[in-house]
Amino acid sequence: MRIVNGIAQNYFYFASMVIFLIGFHTMLTHSNLIKKILGMNIMETAVFLFVVSIGYVRGRAAPVVGGEAQQFVNPLPSALILTGLVVGVSLTAFALALIIKVYQYYGTVDADEIMQIRSEER
Amino acid sequence: MKKAVALVLMLLLGACLLSALSGIPQAEYRLLHGEAPARIVQHGMDDTGAVNLVTGVLFDYRSFDTLGESTVIFTAVAGIMMLFLPGQVPLAGKGLSSMAKRSVDLLLPFVLIVGLYVISHGHISPGGGFQGGTIWATLTILMCIVYGTQFESQFIEYDAKKTLESAAAVALLLVGAVALFAGYPFLSNLAAGFPGGTPGQLVSAGHIPWLNAAVGMKVAAGLSLIFFSMVKKKSGEG
Repeated sequence: MRIVNGIAQNYFYFASMVIFLIGFHTMLTHSNLIKKILGMNIMETAVFLFVVSIGYVRGRAAPVVGGEAQQFVNPLPSALILTGLVVGVSLTAFALALIIKVYQYYGTVDADEIMQIRSEER
Repeated sequence: MKKAVALVLMLLLGACLLSALSGIPQAEYRLLHGEAPARIVQHGMDDTGAVNLVTGVLFDYRSFDTLGESTVIFTAVAGIMMLFLPGQVPLAGKGLSSMAKRSVDLLLPFVLIVGLYVISHGHISPGGGFQGGTIWATLTILMCIVYGTQFESQFIEYDAKKTLESAAAVALLLVGAVALFAGYPFLSNLAAGFPGGTPGQLVSAGHIPWLNAAVGMKVAAGLSLIFFSMVKKKSGEG
């Protein structure tokens, strides 16, 4: 009952948890490297959602002073996540570049096949 | 077998996260805890001159962090360009139909203006250098897809983008160094004598618009460089 209550009250957290698990599962089950990167991106998104929703307070406005709103949500998590987004994009771009290079070398982006090729080479 | 193990691991992690979830305080108690958020919400506009508090945090309170963030992009671009060395000819894509080309022609000035708006109003409304730079980078990628890579590389030279990105990084450091010459810590804003102006005006908030412009240039050039490094291929192949 306590857990159900917690979910109902913090459904943002619950959603981010579900998204995180989807990304985790994608990363574990797929041997295609590009799909692994996609899974990592989904996990990233879940973490971003979690941190941003920490700063969210229901009924309060976006932190832009000057309008009619007097009470604002916490601007700090949003600013932190803006940094995180950029780091995530850089990471994804570099990982994809590495995957292109791996494909040029091995002719496949499948992690299992690459392991097989490597073991045969040895 | 592998999938079953993955499923068990996933459920295990899910159970752990779920038990942690129920320990988090309820929504009503998630108010502005701690000293920093309260300070930012109450005095953020006076401290930074920026109406948009998130931009104020990003480019004033935590501007060092933003410098590091743009260094991350710079490193990623440098690494990708190192992986795909120059001297490779562009992939000769023919582009899409003439109808798509005309539509992009119509769209082009508007996308440019939206990007410019998002960058220049970063301290007033939601937006900023990172977002606007991404919009500009999207434009170059769109041009590449619709007109083919050959056209795009004539349109904006590879070297020009490289120079632009490095120049933006230097501009970012120079804006920070201005405060240093005034005798204040690196990247300090209003304290170092940058004119604050009236909060809410286009020209206000000290160095924040300058930093936004530099970051916007940097992100636009950087993301477009990443894309064009990847669509090129070795001159030997086909």
